[in-house]
Parts: sequence; structure tokens; C-alpha cells
Amino acid sequence: MGSSEKRSKDVMSDIPTFSGENLQKNLKVIQNSRTFLSIIAGVLAGIIGFTGLTGFVFYFVVMLITSVGLMAKAGFSADLYFDSWNRVLFDGFLGGLMSFVLFWTFAYDLVHIF
Amino acid sequence: MNLGFVIGVIGVLILSHAGYSTIQYRGLLKITEEEFTGPPLNVVLELIVGLALSMWAALTFPGKFLSIHPDSDENRAVSLPDNSDFMIFNHRGRLFPPEITMKF
Repeated sequence: MGSSEKRSKDVMSDIPTFSGENLQKNLKVIQNSRTFLSIIAGVLAGIIGFTGLTGFVFYFVVMLITSVGLMAKAGFSADLYFDSWNRVLFDGFLGGLMSFVLFWTFAYDLVHIF
Repeated sequence: MNLGFVIGVIGVLILSHAGYSTIQYRGLLKITEEEFTGPPLNVVLELIVGLALSMWAALTFPGKFLSIHPDSDENRAVSLPDNSDFMIFNHRGRLFPPEITMKF
């Protein structure tokens, strides 16, 4: 898996091609960032003592800040690193939600109940 | 990579210190029998600092974005030591008009 795969039907024409391997690496970077920040947001929500809907609102706020941060990291030009903007903005939302709830309940129990 | 990792560790340490402070604060509230409405102000400040550091570390530690254009300088498809054994030049492509510029 060392070479980059080109998806092009005709080398001489101008059909946009991209390196699939680099795209996958970039997606992995986004996923790692979002998972780590979901865990941090969960711990934070547990320490502050959010219960109920406020916690989920807090999670979405942190994810929005993450999206802005990722856009800034990509230099606000997604064409250089991804094939569409949606990947940068909406990729790991729901996967991180599970981690968020897990660490939220964990930290809440540690700080407020135990 | 190293600096991002260190800053992430510092952020997590600050967060855990904030959590410990909140636990102590709750113990104090149990003694004075008041309600817990929110963590004290210095804990909130610590949480904000910890969050900022962790966010910075989360954006820089997992790695840089790599360009996906095939003709940028870091995406050379040809690298001499790798497949020079399998390259042949005596094929039908020699009949094409030479309009591709090669980078050396």
C-alpha cells in the first residue's frame, strides 16, 4: 500500500484526481481530534455538574468549536486536503457523542456522588 | 508532535486538578450544608484554561494534513529507489507527442 491510487479515466484530460491514501490519513486525523475532544468535553461536563439537556448542548458547542478549529487547521481551503467540506464539518459528530456521554457520567459520579 | 503531546498532558493534569478541587469544594459544602450550584470561580478558570490547552493539543497532536493533489511537491508518484527495477521505457508510449514535463 505504498503508492497513491489515482482515480482517473484519462491521464491527458483534466478530470480531478486525488491521492486516496492521503485523504484517508486526513480523515483519521479528524477522527482522532474529535474523539479526544469528546472525552475532554465529557470530563468537563461532569466536573461542572451539567444534568440533562444542558450537557448535550455543551457537547454540540464544543463540537462546533472543534469544527472551526479544524477548518483553521486546514487553512480554510478544504480543496487541498479533502474532497468536500462536509467531511471536515460533520464527520465525527455522533461517534464522539457516545464517548462524551460515557465520560460525562463517569466524571459526574466521581466528583458529585462518590 | 512532542510539543502537542506535552501540552495535552498538561491540559489533562489541569482538568484533573480542577476535578479534585471540586470534590474538596463539595466536601466543604456538605459541612456547611449548602446547595451545590456550581463550581467556584477559580475552578471555572482552571477548566477554561484546561479546555483551551487540550483543544490546542487535540488539533496539533494527531498529525498534519497531507495534500491530496497529485501534482504537489510532496506527492511525487515516482521515487527512484522504490521501483526503478520495474520501469521500462521501450513501450508504445514513445509514439505519444512529448508534452508531459518531468520533474527531476
